[in-house]
Amino acid sequence: MALSLSARNVVKRYGGVTALSNANLDVNAGEVVALIGANGSGKSTLSKIINGVVVLDGGQLLLDGQFMEFSSPQAAKNLGISTVFQELSLIPQMTVAENIWLAREPLKRGGVIDRKMIREKSDALLNLFAGTYKSSLHPDVTVTSLPPDEKQIVEILKAVSFDPRLLILDEATASLDSRQVERLFELVKRWKQEGKAIVFVSHRMEEIFRIADRYSVLKNGVTVGTGAMKDVNTKDIVSLMVGEESAENAVERKKAVAQNLSGSSVELDVNELRTDFLKGLTFQLHKGELLGIGGLKGQGQRDLLLALFGDLKYTGSINFSGELVHFKNTRQAMNKGVALVPGERAKEGLLFIRSILENLLLPSWGEYGFPTRMRKARESANRIGSTLNLKMAGLDEPVTGLSGGNAQKVVIGKWLLRNPRLLLLDDPTKGVDVGTKAEFYRLLARLCADGLSVLFYSSDDEELLGLCDRVLVMHDGNIRQELFGETLTKSNLVAASLGASRESMQ
Amino acid sequence: MNKHQWQTFTLHNPYLFSLLLLVIITLVNLFVQPDMFHRDTINNNMRVFLPLILLAAGEAVVILGGGIDISVGSIVSIVNVILATQVGLQGNPQKMYLMMGFVLLVGMAAGAINGFFVAYMRLQPIITTYATSFLYAGLALFILPNPGGGIPQSFSSFYRDTTPLGLPLAFFIIALILLAWGFVQQTRYGRYLSAVGGKADAAYETAVPVSAIQFSTYVAAGLMAALSGIAVTMLVSSGNSTTGDQLTLSSITAVVIGGTTLSGGVGGVAGAMIGAVILGLIKNIISFANIDTWWQTFVNAAIIVVALAAPGVINLFRRKR
Repeated sequence: MALSLSARNVVKRYGGVTALSNANLDVNAGEVVALIGANGSGKSTLSKIINGVVVLDGGQLLLDGQFMEFSSPQAAKNLGISTVFQELSLIPQMTVAENIWLAREPLKRGGVIDRKMIREKSDALLNLFAGTYKSSLHPDVTVTSLPPDEKQIVEILKAVSFDPRLLILDEATASLDSRQVERLFELVKRWKQEGKAIVFVSHRMEEIFRIADRYSVLKNGVTVGTGAMKDVNTKDIVSLMVGEESAENAVERKKAVAQNLSGSSVELDVNELRTDFLKGLTFQLHKGELLGIGGLKGQGQRDLLLALFGDLKYTGSINFSGELVHFKNTRQAMNKGVALVPGERAKEGLLFIRSILENLLLPSWGEYGFPTRMRKARESANRIGSTLNLKMAGLDEPVTGLSGGNAQKVVIGKWLLRNPRLLLLDDPTKGVDVGTKAEFYRLLARLCADGLSVLFYSSDDEELLGLCDRVLVMHDGNIRQELFGETLTKSNLVAASLGASRESMQ
Repeated sequence: MNKHQWQTFTLHNPYLFSLLLLVIITLVNLFVQPDMFHRDTINNNMRVFLPLILLAAGEAVVILGGGIDISVGSIVSIVNVILATQVGLQGNPQKMYLMMGFVLLVGMAAGAINGFFVAYMRLQPIITTYATSFLYAGLALFILPNPGGGIPQSFSSFYRDTTPLGLPLAFFIIALILLAWGFVQQTRYGRYLSAVGGKADAAYETAVPVSAIQFSTYVAAGLMAALSGIAVTMLVSSGNSTTGDQLTLSSITAVVIGGTTLSGGVGGVAGAMIGAVILGLIKNIISFANIDTWWQTFVNAAIIVVALAAPGVINLFRRKR
């Protein structure tokens, strides 16, 4: 039966955060609809509402013209809605066949699972991608031992194994190689002809243009545009995602940063840096420069920062203040004056139940001798606290009591106590209030003026545009583009994030 | 064997290491106790091991499903005191059968309380069952404040002397459980269990009834604890409200020695039962090896530590290569 599904004015809140405020999506049998949006625009949330994993707070879902309410994934599944999850819904310890047929195992008499049938059916499914596997992917291998691309394929096969009427592909191509993507697209075309409806969520602009018939663009939880793919080009889509360039920039531009860099020396010279994910990065960072790193989440930014901090194995050469270094652990990096403000403040940045004092001094206790000279330690902590304008009831209060912004100041403060020469920032303003952000920008400007070099990854494009004179946009483990001067505009930044080539933007 | 095959192999046969350990421990035991394979000795040993074997089998189901139950020992105590007080040394067999049926229900009810809080109220399993363990232990103490009571002589001698086909009764009970477990593994329920324990979020997204599965594991553990309680009562033929106290941690240890990971998703009942036998044999070895009383606990614990660490060490060496 031909299917039509439409989501109207969908609202979803998580606690105080509104993920979707007015999201709309229509999809019909025999078409591919691309769901497009930047980080945190609500794409995944919307797809999870359609497949019943999360329950909507407002708006409605219409299936074949009928008002629907999915209380569980089971309910959606029974109506023929299937999903390839971005985070994969596979059980690592179970085999490929067990995963594909989980909860839908063919049974023999007496409720016993029909293993022979499972094996045959799995073989048939695996044949869909035959010839694109690197290792010997067969039904009885455990999923945990598979490489990422084959896990992704198993997830796709699992979703199509029960012949769904609506298939949601959430970032299904992210870990596939080009041959596998080709094969998937052939299959998608076939499924389309068979009358399946397909929702295609992807960051890769080129793929969207190849496969989708229609598009729906989300921006901050609101659907800002829908239409036929043939009527638009990359530039149109990007401008929908970016929205009207607001007259007053949210971030005050700090021109003072990094002006006379031509004269300053190269502090960090990275050559062909490779990890499991990074594909050979080469760039330079000058003394006193604030170099931005942009791009969508998970394009290797974290790997880059961790590799520089000695927390990830890499190959390639790193020249740090005129000296060839290869940090094998974080201690070596710390001793050379590298500091990392990690992405997950609560998990990696702070000892959450300990006091502010302990957190501030954690990397530098060694300098206060044994037995610890507590008075000197407290003086240092107080000094850095006042430099950072840290609002606290006292040094002995637990960090849990601090607001997001103040807690982040503690993370930065603990490194500043060590007088670093290179500061690596992994999305430092995430969950930080506006006032503290402004303070933080001023602090960065001051530190750079004092000769500190900063590598600054941010998921907030405005921030990069406002603070940095040069931004490296990462995509798929590579530096996609280096933007500076006139090329450093919001549309260029977004386009490069999506992997769109520069030509398609002209 | 390459890395992938090895991973798949060990995930499919998690009890292999415990089987190896069982052979080693048995050889050592044979060395200190030469008549170990004599019919009476085996029967005596298995009779003593059976309560822990049953308890570990139930605990394995919970742990495989991603939870943990530290109230099972207290359920054993409740069952023990109910039987000892309600039937009595002079009680008639009918009453005993009736009460045996009743305590099985009690065990499942206790498990259902645990399961309700963990699966539907989403409380932490370890904290919840720690709390309910006191609830159940307190109830047992209320029922029988001082050790005493008993069950009819005929039942303890039945438990002691029944050897169908010349084999200990325990062997048949173990075989029954293995058969039942083998069947469960062939059903959807078995798959759900591994899925929920392996990655509950993914299982939920795949439309597995996660909460119902979690709930059921605690009921199963409660039932097995009740069976274990019946076995203990027949073994000691008297009541004591602290009977099950030391059994809880032993059952968890047995499960882990049996190859079930505490994080869930890998393992099973067979390994746990092997683990329980291993723990029993270790105690046996110590009592026959004339080890100074002061050192017994130490030696016992040291062997257990080695047994727990060994699989990890093997994998470490494989990775280095």
